[in-house]
Amino acid sequence: MNTPFAMLRFTLLLAVVVTAVGCGKTPPASFRLNMVQATKTAAPESGMEKPWATWARERQGQVATILEAMYGTPDDPVALAETGLDLAKLKLAAGPVRSDIVGRKNGLYREHCVHCHGISGDGMGPTAAFLNPYPRDYRPGKFKFKGTWRDARPGREDLTRVLHEGIPGSSMPSFALLPPAQVDALVEYVRYLSMRGETELALYTYAEQELGVDDTLPTTKEFLVDEILTPIVEKWQGAEDARIPIASVPGNVDFTKPGDDPANRESVARGRALFHGDGGCVKCHGVTALGDGQANDYDDWNKVIVEWSKEVTGGLGSTQDDAGRTAWLHAAADVIEGDALRPRTIPPRNLRLGLYRGGRRPVDLYRRLYTGINGAPMPGVGPSGPGGKGSVADAEIWHIVNYIRSLPYEFDGELGADRPMVAKDRF
Amino acid sequence: MGKRLAGIFWSLLFLAVPVLGVATFAIAPAYDHWLPKDVSEHGASIDSLFYFILALTGVVFVVTEVLLFWFMWKYDEAKNQGEATYIQGSHTLEVVWTIIPAATLLFLAIYQMNAWADVKMRRPAMSPTVEVVARQFEWRLRYPGRDATLGTADDLFLVNDLHLPIDEDVLVQLKSMDVLHSFFLPNVRIKQDAVPGMKIPVWFKAREAGSYDIVCAELCGWGHYKMKGRVTFEPRAQFEAWLERKYAEQGTTQPPPEAADVATAQ
Amino acid sequence: MTSFCRSCVPLACLVVATSAGCGPRRVSAPVADAAAALTIREGLASTAAAAVTGGEAAVVGTGWASLKGRFVFAGDPGQPKPLAVDKDTEVCGKSSKLFDRSLRVDTSTKGLADVVVFVRKSSRVKNPVPDAPQMFDQKNCEFLAPVFAARVGQPIDVRNSDPVGHNTNIDGTSFNQLIPAGQGTTYKPDTEMGAPKAVTCNIHPWMKAYVIFRKDGYVAVSSGDGSFAIPDLPAGEPLEFQVWHARATGSGGGVVLERPDLKWNPKGRFVITLQADEVKDLGTLEVPAGSLGT
Repeated sequence: MNTPFAMLRFTLLLAVVVTAVGCGKTPPASFRLNMVQATKTAAPESGMEKPWATWARERQGQVATILEAMYGTPDDPVALAETGLDLAKLKLAAGPVRSDIVGRKNGLYREHCVHCHGISGDGMGPTAAFLNPYPRDYRPGKFKFKGTWRDARPGREDLTRVLHEGIPGSSMPSFALLPPAQVDALVEYVRYLSMRGETELALYTYAEQELGVDDTLPTTKEFLVDEILTPIVEKWQGAEDARIPIASVPGNVDFTKPGDDPANRESVARGRALFHGDGGCVKCHGVTALGDGQANDYDDWNKVIVEWSKEVTGGLGSTQDDAGRTAWLHAAADVIEGDALRPRTIPPRNLRLGLYRGGRRPVDLYRRLYTGINGAPMPGVGPSGPGGKGSVADAEIWHIVNYIRSLPYEFDGELGADRPMVAKDRF
Repeated sequence: MGKRLAGIFWSLLFLAVPVLGVATFAIAPAYDHWLPKDVSEHGASIDSLFYFILALTGVVFVVTEVLLFWFMWKYDEAKNQGEATYIQGSHTLEVVWTIIPAATLLFLAIYQMNAWADVKMRRPAMSPTVEVVARQFEWRLRYPGRDATLGTADDLFLVNDLHLPIDEDVLVQLKSMDVLHSFFLPNVRIKQDAVPGMKIPVWFKAREAGSYDIVCAELCGWGHYKMKGRVTFEPRAQFEAWLERKYAEQGTTQPPPEAADVATAQ
Repeated sequence: MTSFCRSCVPLACLVVATSAGCGPRRVSAPVADAAAALTIREGLASTAAAAVTGGEAAVVGTGWASLKGRFVFAGDPGQPKPLAVDKDTEVCGKSSKLFDRSLRVDTSTKGLADVVVFVRKSSRVKNPVPDAPQMFDQKNCEFLAPVFAARVGQPIDVRNSDPVGHNTNIDGTSFNQLIPAGQGTTYKPDTEMGAPKAVTCNIHPWMKAYVIFRKDGYVAVSSGDGSFAIPDLPAGEPLEFQVWHARATGSGGGVVLERPDLKWNPKGRFVITLQADEVKDLGTLEVPAGSLGT
């Protein structure tokens, strides 16, 4: 070092390298709490002795500990017998990517899913902010594309189908080329993350409704398993029995032929009448079916953030001015800013594209129409539960399906010169 | 003495380059580290071009490297105490070693024209067998359907699982949905960039049945490394049977029993 | 000039930048206590018979009583905000303008409407679930009932009396159904709600109401003048009542009153034991100005 400052420059360069690379081992992965719900349900009560932040931290720590007891960590999952989860499959999916002693690949979730769906299944992985639509947040237990009643959970075959086909029109890829055993393991892990998220929400709800400020969450088996876990597991296990009935296809519908074929003309006309009439579809999808009926609604995952954010910025309308409340609102605002994705409206689907996120088979479209889409504003035209009555008869729904399938190819439709680019010219 | 040893060491080190280089190429096929299995019709001409260029450049490589070693050895500073002669350069030498490579390259350019034309210019007069749309990070496929026209209501939509008939000309219409990708079939010696906004025809003929890789050969984002598909070549009868099965699945109006509901690629 | 290291300045900035990092600042989340988690897990895995918690035997009385009262609002509700009606304007808001109905105070009596009072847990129920359907209607692109209470298992006739289609979306249930103009459908709630949930229409996003389903049916919604009554309550046992309002600033929507005689809880609850055949009148329940967001 024979120039002045050469030593200084060298030290600075070394500092850059060290800070960029870091030192010490990477800490093991850990689940994150649902901070939005954690702060939302942690309203301070008058007469709290501790500062709000300390109290909230302790409460959240209890929840985190209980969740670790019931579900383990991302590297080491735990499946209580009551959940009905297959621990062997979870172990295949969990942990870092590696080969186990028999040469099978482990760490599947981390290899394929974590960068979008996040380590806790919160849909906030590193790439999530750049995606439109956002990746699914499993924690509320709501899934869009399934064949069960609207509020029911998806069956394993619904989740497997999504993994297999991907979701065209979103960034969810197809995993058709993975061996079936790996796909099964991933499906099981998604169910595990969803159950964990729902357990967390149930704990927050219980704490908000039942606990006083000085109480701690009980950790007995009666409470955690019978009161908190069992209703969640029952919903998941009841998914197989909650499948919607599929009506038989009417005689004048032939899905093997295109919409303008004489075999389908009558059915497509009936479908068009329903689309513009009792089906109520044009209200959101627009008379052109381009999805331009409205653009200011949110899906359930974003709506939670939007509504909570409105309440927080409104100060929850309180004229009280105590330190606990202020601390709470500040924390809530920080969480919305740093721990939640920026909310996006959900536009109604452009039906002229021929791109159907939940699948393009007639039965997939039937399912979307029957129950609507859980988590999205899309309502159903079928009954809301077994034995109910829908606004359109079950068999008639097939006519709407036929009409929808013909929309992307409706070259000389009513729109004439203003017709949108049809599927032939698109992808 | 130290200096002479140093000179010997560096010369031998540089000799190791051609020695190891040739040795690697000689041993590699025994370890299956060679060109992927070729199942295409035009692949032989491409491979023979590759071998020709390999041989030509290999010879030049060995000659130049050996010369480099020889000059390092012979003109090592420890052995030569005399002064170096300063010359102005040799015009003849410069002309020679410009003309010869240029001629070689020109020869190569003309020699390969036929192979290039076969793959990139002589498009067979047929309608596309399949449309491949590259997308981050998968290959979306669209078959023309029973009416043999792309863009109609009976098209068959699939992902990543490409089936094609053997012993027939196959025309793929390649598009991209978002960014640059490259449709690379190593076992068919086909590589074509998918350019957004362009519809690029790709044609080939496969001779042998089997399942091979489709990989992406143009960096397209974080998932580029795992943008893999699978191409299965099978006789025409089996291909049609497979298409029929996929049509039936696409037109499903009743979910079949659970085991068959999810179509694992058959 | 010569004694200043010019290239050290960008290098120093680089050090700061790499150590500070870039990207969104995620809130630090609490970590679990691994040792405590293991203890809890062992407890969950044990198949030991559940220890009798030794709580007080549930007090069960006999007879039935009623509860009634009247909510008044001590503060100034201000003017209700008009809703932004931007769809189907030939129908919506035509017969009368649409206003935000979350805080309805009767100007003459100061009565506070739409307060929900319900029993959190009851040991016995007098009346079985009725079969007659309750009406939940919408007209003029507005749900006719701003707050609607129903019993689990009792059918609800969800009706659309408008000339345009609506979809009625009850949050947290399987019910999000499109109801064409002039038609209706029946919905039978099958799960109890811990607190009222929102009912919206996705086609007309300004439409909002609240609905609550309770198993025992001991729920009342205060009417225009603030009065409410819950009959046929089980007497002789302590009953915990939850008081809820859409604009309450307490946690979970609980309304906090200053009524020390009722041992009012910060979550908007009070406990009361009724005598058989008693008609307990709580009198005027004054809701303080600060406890509803105004």
